[in-house]
Amino acid sequence: MPETLAAVSDISARGYARPEVLVSTQWVEEHRNDPKVRLLESNEDILLYETGHIPGAVKIDWVTELNDLLVRDYVDRARFERLLRAKGINNDTTIVFYGDKNNWWATYAFWVFKLFGVENLKVLDGGRLRWADEGRDLLTEVPKYPQGNITVKERDDARIRAFRAEVEQHVKRSGKLVDVRSPEEYRGERLHMPEYPNEGALRGGHIPGAKSIPWGRAITPETHTFRPAEELRTIYEAENGLQTTDNVIAYCRIGERSSHTWFALTYLLGFKNVRNYDGSWTEWGNTVRAPIEKP
Amino acid sequence: MDRETRIAWLVDHYHRPRHKGALASADARVPGGNPGCGDIITVYVKAEPGENRIGAVSFEGVGCTLSQAAASILAERINKDRPSFEEILEYPPEQMIDLLGRDIAEARPGCALLALGTLKGAVKTVEMNRKLREAGHSDEQIRALRRAIAEQGEETGVVVGEGAEQAAAR
Repeated sequence: MPETLAAVSDISARGYARPEVLVSTQWVEEHRNDPKVRLLESNEDILLYETGHIPGAVKIDWVTELNDLLVRDYVDRARFERLLRAKGINNDTTIVFYGDKNNWWATYAFWVFKLFGVENLKVLDGGRLRWADEGRDLLTEVPKYPQGNITVKERDDARIRAFRAEVEQHVKRSGKLVDVRSPEEYRGERLHMPEYPNEGALRGGHIPGAKSIPWGRAITPETHTFRPAEELRTIYEAENGLQTTDNVIAYCRIGERSSHTWFALTYLLGFKNVRNYDGSWTEWGNTVRAPIEKP
Repeated sequence: MDRETRIAWLVDHYHRPRHKGALASADARVPGGNPGCGDIITVYVKAEPGENRIGAVSFEGVGCTLSQAAASILAERINKDRPSFEEILEYPPEQMIDLLGRDIAEARPGCALLALGTLKGAVKTVEMNRKLREAGHSDEQIRALRRAIAEQGEETGVVVGEGAEQAAAR
């Protein structure tokens, strides 16, 4: 490991509500040949896996594999089960997600897997960046695994997913909302480039009553790992008034960054009722007569 | 080209980008940013003197593998073919998607088309600068006009050219 690299504290010493959902780079190093562990790399960069990945890791693409390509929704149970079996996942497999952008796509995949009730999910703390910073191996060889036998449940969209109508009711009840986008997006200073297809919206601003807590605040920048629980509590509870018993809805543009905040609130701070609004700003900001606050 | 070969081709362009770097005496330097994911491409265009045709292009940028590989591939093609301004402005985004490989590029259209969109913006800048010069504006006046347009764009949420890098990096 490079001598100048910032040290990372033990996950078990950080005071998390569910510390077992995070694993360290060293844990992955020791378990990457364990047949009961499957590493899944989930990136925004569609070709990053091909430039090199953790030995033994399998790629999962949120666009082409987790999303339905016709309707804006996730794949159904049958397709999801086929996908997981094709990646060699069994009922007793422990799945470890990691990825670029400080794991935001890893937690997004984690959230989608949870919609289907998949158990034994973990996230590599620090993600791909920490692994690379520590000088650990990144190989281009694509592993092949025998077909898995996992059985998944029907997707449950009620517990951890929020739809627009539910968000509208939540706003009327003055429920807690967290806008995890950048402050510029929250303030409605949106970026739109002519001729570029993008995930834009016709209106800028935020859902009324939402607190601006950019997703990246949950990360220690020097190590790319999650902040200890005490620091997270300062950000979410002391600074922004959230409580672990609150009914919270998080959103961003398409639900990817907010899945990171959903993960931090649910598993690291022990919030009981957090939902991710994956329609997010690309739905709300394009909806006729949807109420908007700006700035 | 099969999928595996095409991925290797894209990754090679990412690792060994062609025509990357500032272009001396460029007629236009236009940045473009991809909202949300932070890809940035700055395109330099030098036109053939007196012709509505590309003389040379180069780019600088940071971002995902696909956005940077696409910029390198596009620069390579443009420098080889030296197309007219019209040919660039009419180059269909769908054709760029096909060039990069639909099975990959279609999943990330913003990344795949950032370089093409920015190149089109650079060509328009060259065309407009020529018109402004013909109308009697000095280079300094043209720069001032572009700064004013950029500032106006920020107020309306539309970022064109100047300021796109910072906006995309947020």
